[in-house]
Amino acid sequence: MYQFDYHRPTSLDEAAQILSQDDEASLLAGGQTLLPTMKQRLAAPSQLVDLSGIAELKGVREEGGQIVVGAMTPHDTVANDKTVQAKIPGLAHLAGAIGDPQVRNRGTIGGSLANNDPASDYPGAVLGLGATVRTNKREIPADDFFQGLFETALEEGELIKEVAFPVPQKSAYAKFHNPASRYAIVGAFVAQTDGGVRVAITGAGPCVFRVPEMEQALSSNWSADAIKDIKVSADEFNTDLHASADYRAHLVTVMAKRAVQAAG
Amino acid sequence: MIVEGQVHGGIAQGVGQALLESAVYDPDSGQLVTGSYQDYTMPRADDLPSFRVGMTETPCPHNPVGAKGCGEAGAIAAPAALMNAITDALGTEDIQMPATREKVWRLAQQRLAPAAE
Repeated sequence: MYQFDYHRPTSLDEAAQILSQDDEASLLAGGQTLLPTMKQRLAAPSQLVDLSGIAELKGVREEGGQIVVGAMTPHDTVANDKTVQAKIPGLAHLAGAIGDPQVRNRGTIGGSLANNDPASDYPGAVLGLGATVRTNKREIPADDFFQGLFETALEEGELIKEVAFPVPQKSAYAKFHNPASRYAIVGAFVAQTDGGVRVAITGAGPCVFRVPEMEQALSSNWSADAIKDIKVSADEFNTDLHASADYRAHLVTVMAKRAVQAAG
Repeated sequence: MIVEGQVHGGIAQGVGQALLESAVYDPDSGQLVTGSYQDYTMPRADDLPSFRVGMTETPCPHNPVGAKGCGEAGAIAAPAALMNAITDALGTEDIQMPATREKVWRLAQQRLAPAAE
């Protein structure tokens, strides 16, 4: 690890200010990606701005028919929250299947979304439910937030404050996990929402994406059978030690079917 | 209980060898690609079924207490049992350990569509 300065601000404004004054500063949420990266000397931020001291970033609440999750809420809290379990069981299940207990107790939704790792789980729920990412500056719809490999719509000096999830009629997440790391090789999030049926796939490509053909098929016939013959192209998909692109393309259909079955 | 625990551990090691564990080197640089448990798949509790261990006790005649090693038993039998099951199911003996999910899928696809080869 290289040398860095450490800050633990108590307000969002203070955190944003430190960030805006130094291009090399990094935000520290749960540290489940950033800290191992720093330990391997693959990242060398000049300053770490630890967000754990900002009370308003933590917790889950209901607000105007939506479930709002603070950016610094750990996965384990979301997984075990009674409101989330009752209103969006697919989201609770997803949060409970991230990594291992250590990761779930440290890792946060804000950190996961800002990093936008192609194999992370949360982008599936955020895009699959059509959630809204609220920052210190604006509200960003999920369809605009995820822009590419580790790329988001977040600008310099912009911090995620919370995520507002609309409550769907039905939703479920089905994950084919990497047997070593427990990241998603392919994760499918399906939902019936007020804005229509949504199918979001994470893990397979460089960035989470929707499958319009499946959404259309499920709109007229909500069943696994309706999408069993819909294949996606493997062209842009990831190939690594654990799965090649064409295997991932196959798994997209399999996991989407399982998610529809799980949603009931 | 120690003996059963050792056999459980041995079976886990055997399952890991047959299905999961693979040391991969980059062919160009010689770099170990599976250098951490993020990439090298150790068997974990949720990769394994529950075990019921049965024993045949034959004391060793070459030492006063009749003791002998036992932990290896599971590690030796598990890969053979798993690979026999997999090769039998897929109708081919041409599969190297570890028989990962993707390898098994690929062989099954070939069996389904032999004409495409």
